[in-house]
Amino acid sequence: MKNKKEIAALIFVSLLLGLILSIQFKTINKSIGGGALPTQRAQELANDLRKAQAEKESQLRLIQELEDKIEQYEKSGIEDDIYAENLYKDAMKYRMLAGYSDMSGPGIVLEINDPPVDIQYGEGFSIVDELDLILQVISVLNAADAEAISINDQRYTAFTEIVRAGNHIEINGVSTSSPIVIKAIGNADTLESALSIKWGIVWQLRNYDYIVNLTQDKNVVIPKYRRVKEFIYASPVEEKLQ
Amino acid sequence: MRISSPKLTLGIFSIIVGILIASQMKLNVDQITPVTIQSIIAARNELNSVRNEIVDLEKTIAAKEEELRLLESIGEGEANLVDILRDDVYKNKVAAGYTSLKGPGIQIVMFDNMNLEELSFSFNDDIIHDVDILNIINDLKVAGAEAISINDQRVMSYSEIKCGGPIIRINGKSIGTPFIIKAIGDPQLLMAAVNAPGTYGDTLRTVFGIGLQPYAEDEIIIPAYHGDFVYSYAGLLEEGE
Repeated sequence: MKNKKEIAALIFVSLLLGLILSIQFKTINKSIGGGALPTQRAQELANDLRKAQAEKESQLRLIQELEDKIEQYEKSGIEDDIYAENLYKDAMKYRMLAGYSDMSGPGIVLEINDPPVDIQYGEGFSIVDELDLILQVISVLNAADAEAISINDQRYTAFTEIVRAGNHIEINGVSTSSPIVIKAIGNADTLESALSIKWGIVWQLRNYDYIVNLTQDKNVVIPKYRRVKEFIYASPVEEKLQ
Repeated sequence: MRISSPKLTLGIFSIIVGILIASQMKLNVDQITPVTIQSIIAARNELNSVRNEIVDLEKTIAAKEEELRLLESIGEGEANLVDILRDDVYKNKVAAGYTSLKGPGIQIVMFDNMNLEELSFSFNDDIIHDVDILNIINDLKVAGAEAISINDQRVMSYSEIKCGGPIIRINGKSIGTPFIIKAIGDPQLLMAAVNAPGTYGDTLRTVFGIGLQPYAEDEIIIPAYHGDFVYSYAGLLEEGE
């Protein structure tokens, strides 16, 4: 009798153990995302990524070299020709306006960090979910007469799109993610007060728990737009001489 | 004493087994986490975006090489600097928005919700705000719009779009409803960007009842930027700084 009782207890405990084990396995599977895949694939991807990034670096260097050469040729060509020199100045002006030259000057730097992850609920939220906040910051900066704006070192031009792609943001076709660093050149006092006015955009961001740093900087450097803009659909309207 | 001892051993063994299994699992989990489906997808996305960047950079390189080739041919007497510079001025003028452009595209007419019944919670939901316009413009840019204007004000990189009470200010000018947004680009893509279910434009129309009527057109004319933008703070970055 006593023996049977012991066996029953043993069986009960083993069952419980098995149950707990299977629950544990299931939760682990769920939390790490549906089982492990072969490590080979991951390594392959990592290798490809490293190669692609190296290629990108070398291309950027090549572009820099080409640009230096072009500048040399242009500068040497205009030395003894006033007409060409004026044209060159004109070209530089429109290059600046189109965003094809590096700029520097006084301005502000705005850094937006994601809110800290909520311990109670786990999942935090990110600026990736609320891209229109970035659009509003840029609009406010423009209203305060900013002369050049960049987001994470991507020049903001008339063609710059800000789009969500998975867990990161693509700006000018280049993927970046939080923290977002927006730089603007202009009257630093005006820019700062336009952003930090009560109920303004920085207040709104802080209200959503974003960690925002707004600083003035005497020398903000804003890089040029790297893409070649091709007009496929649009063509210039011939200006009629009257 | 004799009766309780097997229970005790059982208990002790269970505890030991529990601890062993727990420590074993913790070790295993550490080894598994780096390779999950999620991390693989993230790596693949990143790879794709870097590859896209490389394609863009290749285009830039081709353009720069062409420019350099032209400049080098000056020495051989085939081209002269004045012509090259004149072309360059013109090209950048177009890119900067200082010329009128025409081409196929779409025209969107936007107006406030004119329903007299109060459908939404506050009157604020019935009118068009700067955020709505900003989102629509951004959607159009994502769809590859080559030039955009709002009520014939060209949207530039330094155009502000701000609510100012009953009107919206853009390029320093005030405009009121209806807002007419024009964009040049692939009409089908542009239509989809504001019309497809789930887009911002669709939400505006179906949820908030705001008037938003896009029309595809064969020829749209977008005027040049009329103002004169003067840099008073920003200057060219000097080399070696």
